Amino acid sequence: MKKLFPLIAAVLLAACSGSTTFVEELPDIYPDYIGVTIPAGIAPLNFNLPEEYDRVFVRVTGSKGGQLSVKGRWASFPLKKWHALTAQNAGGFLSFTVLGRKDGQWTQWRDFILYVSDTPLEDYGITYRKIAPGYTTYSLIGLYQRDLHSFREDPIIESTLTPGQCMNCHTPNATDPSQFLFHLRGKHGATLIQKDGVREWVTTKTDSTLGNVAYCYWHPDGNWFAGSINPVRQCFWTGDQRTIEVFDLASDLVIMDVRDYSVIADPRLTTKEYLESSPAFTPDGKTLYFCRSKAYNVPAEVEKVKYNLMKVSFDATTGELGEPETVIPASEENASISFPRPSYDGRWLMYNKADFGVFPISHKEADLWLMDMESGESRPLDEVNSPVSESFHNWSSNSRWFLFASRRYDGLYVQVFLSSIDEDGHCTKPFVLPQKNPRKYYHGTPYSFNVPDFTKEKVQFDTRGVYEAVFSDERIQATVKQ
Amino acid sequence: MELGRIHLVEIQTQKIILETLTKKAAARCDGCLFYQKMSPMDKQYRIALTSLLGAAVFAFWMWLYPQAPHYQEQNQLFLFTWDYLGRRLVLPGGLADYISEFLVQLFYIRWAGALVMAALAVLLQVATWRASGEKRSLYAVSFIPSLLLLIYMGDMDVLVSYPVAIIMATMLCPLFVKAGWHRLWLFPVGWWMVGPVIMIPALLSVIKGHKWEDILALVWLFAGAYAQYRLLAAQYPLRDAFFGLNYYRLVEILPAMQVVIPVVTLLCILICGSGMDFRHPALVNGAVAAVLFAGTWFAVPLTFNKDAQETLAYDWLIRNQRYAEVIKRAEKYQPHNPVSACSVNMCLFMEGQLTNRFAEFYQCGIQGLVQPSVRDNLSDCTSQEILWMMGMPNITLQYAFDLQESIQNGRKSGRFTARIAECNIVNGWYDRASRYLDILSHSMFYRKWALERKAMIQNEALVSKDPVYAYIRSVRFKDDFITRYEGLDLMMAILYNQNKNNFMAAEYYSVWQQLKKMEGAE
Repeated sequence: MKKLFPLIAAVLLAACSGSTTFVEELPDIYPDYIGVTIPAGIAPLNFNLPEEYDRVFVRVTGSKGGQLSVKGRWASFPLKKWHALTAQNAGGFLSFTVLGRKDGQWTQWRDFILYVSDTPLEDYGITYRKIAPGYTTYSLIGLYQRDLHSFREDPIIESTLTPGQCMNCHTPNATDPSQFLFHLRGKHGATLIQKDGVREWVTTKTDSTLGNVAYCYWHPDGNWFAGSINPVRQCFWTGDQRTIEVFDLASDLVIMDVRDYSVIADPRLTTKEYLESSPAFTPDGKTLYFCRSKAYNVPAEVEKVKYNLMKVSFDATTGELGEPETVIPASEENASISFPRPSYDGRWLMYNKADFGVFPISHKEADLWLMDMESGESRPLDEVNSPVSESFHNWSSNSRWFLFASRRYDGLYVQVFLSSIDEDGHCTKPFVLPQKNPRKYYHGTPYSFNVPDFTKEKVQFDTRGVYEAVFSDERIQATVKQ
Repeated sequence: MELGRIHLVEIQTQKIILETLTKKAAARCDGCLFYQKMSPMDKQYRIALTSLLGAAVFAFWMWLYPQAPHYQEQNQLFLFTWDYLGRRLVLPGGLADYISEFLVQLFYIRWAGALVMAALAVLLQVATWRASGEKRSLYAVSFIPSLLLLIYMGDMDVLVSYPVAIIMATMLCPLFVKAGWHRLWLFPVGWWMVGPVIMIPALLSVIKGHKWEDILALVWLFAGAYAQYRLLAAQYPLRDAFFGLNYYRLVEILPAMQVVIPVVTLLCILICGSGMDFRHPALVNGAVAAVLFAGTWFAVPLTFNKDAQETLAYDWLIRNQRYAEVIKRAEKYQPHNPVSACSVNMCLFMEGQLTNRFAEFYQCGIQGLVQPSVRDNLSDCTSQEILWMMGMPNITLQYAFDLQESIQNGRKSGRFTARIAECNIVNGWYDRASRYLDILSHSMFYRKWALERKAMIQNEALVSKDPVYAYIRSVRFKDDFITRYEGLDLMMAILYNQNKNNFMAAEYYSVWQQLKKMEGAE
């Protein structure tokens, strides 16, 4: 049968070609996978033609051998054959011949190419929060994990399990699912910290701090995490270019020792005059990057809030912090930096740059930038940026792939895109997270993908006892480190 | 001769068979003597009583509380897609939920809503009667579950899934009673179809069975249900899975009636099926029926929150642009809450009476003119209509989105989705609008509207010519600035100064100032 397959495909192609119109243009496929670079073993990059085409025929030919043909309402590739083909062509490319039928007439477009990287993406998958994009209220939200090598998506926790409690995003320690945390907001709010399957529910607010920690980043040794404490508010614009503005009423940075749940609230990072946010440790654990802006009267002066990229040294043995120093004075360039994320190999630091604020997701002009940690030079990632918002991003465990959230398809709903980076910092054209039937999925889902991150292995989270633990309000109370 | 003898034997045999059959029939009819005794309580009499129930329930929802079915419809969006079906069927009680949502979409039409509710009441009564077996009596008792449901449905957050599930469960009673070992698969399948009310036929079969394997079957039901829960519904609290995931809209609340009604239904089945004999069954039934109807008559006003229902009625009338009727109702009785004030003020404006008459009605300051953003699925309904008409599509978008996301069981709303699509159209965000219109195009009553809009946004000229969208675009803000509820009056002033045809902004600004003064004076 295997031997017959190319023959059948050729016959089908010939049959389609009987009354086929050839056009020199590239096909208008959704999602735009033309010229993207993928890792071998990724889930099939199924795609759709415009809705008026009722049938599609695709033949994929590998530069290093192998062939695959599919026919249907959309291009849907069988998982095992796709994996075999991408594995065979790692370091090469796949050539796609696409035919579409409209009103009984077949059209064949110019073939397009998709590159298969020889750099593996070893992680199991990605995690993200799904939430309806928009305003102040959310009915159903949840944290999910998606196998990157198939279309399987599993919930980690959904809001149905903890009714009435909103949840912040899942934060693993450098893609390691054996240690992670997330924060539940609401009347029964708490920060869940899980290590090696052991769960603890912690109240991170102390008498000396503004509130519970919200946006966190683990120290590589797993004994600490840094978190920002920020009462978030939304306000709304009147024009037809933007709707929502998200801002912090105040914002401080603390570091928590998870061995005894004590908080370091350093006065230099908890000032009233400044807003501190977006913490991230370097992979050696010796430096903490964060963003800082002068505090203004918000929302009236929200456009004046511009964050600089800062860093401070950190001694994990004593918990002592050095003197904060400015790395990129973005405010001087009338810009604002958020979400610095050092690659796990210590080579790069990726961050967001927008006109103001610390929530790039609602900023059309927000782009991804890359800083060379050796030279300190930064550049916009033009290879991956779009005219609309690029926001949250994270690195794969081998630091050769990264993902980011972007609203590029319709300006509102956020999807996850993946791209690779070489040793010189050149990035490849990104591709959106593959779906079984992409148009149906992305056009029909009421959810945006928030704060995506890679996960080395599948996250193990047993939902038994969660409801009882949340509503019992039994918490470990964090203290201030003396 | 021989033939004659054979013939005689045959006749005798037939006689014996006939006698045996007659005895058996007589024995079987022992319990049915009441049929003969209560001659007035014949089929026509029962049909008449059942019809009375149907007619009363129909009249109730058609004329007394038409706003309640409307509210149910507003808080869900049934879609004719396989995905939608799949999302319902993956949860226990999902089939009942799916059927219920299919029915609730019909509530878009007033009489259809009343008809469905009446049909459900009748079905439950008939199902209760039939479930009580062959030795049944006390027909009037079979009305109790339907009447209890009517009382319970006064709580506007009781989902129609609940009566649908109870009806399905009650209908399964005869099958379960006779099923024997087939209950091993019927129990888990039944639990998955209708949810925990499957306990009605399950317990009935155990009570009627009197055998050790019946207890075993019940244990099996719980074990199977727990296994299914762990496998497929682990993202819900165990408590919710075992008391019903889709019976009540609000989370964290388990109304006592949700447990009481299935128990009462089971008791009614047992009472009806106990074969109680009365000398004057018609009299007894008549008396029971009279007590039940009278009890319902008095109980309904106790459970139906008058202010909530009146507020709902305003919203329903405003949605149907029957502004004068709101004013008429408010002249007789007006609830003292900001939503009602908002609604009446809006209707006064629409009837050209706002500045002259607003002081005649209940006022509660500026929030009675336009509500600040409130996180529930009703309070901002009128406010989003006002803001839309005044030319503030972005705040309308926020209100409509938050209204929809405040539906606690996570369902969407045809009404709010349509408004979200419209706000995106006015802003020229056609890709986003298209997404919402595509969703609506899978519904029954919003489909035509959505397809028309979908065609419209392909051509900018058509959007610009549309009277509503063109108007909103003409009166909306020309500048981009941040909004604040406290500064809404200034925003109204800006709107009026931009476009002097925006009478609504002018009139609302004027009343806003007067209300502020009144607040200050107090």
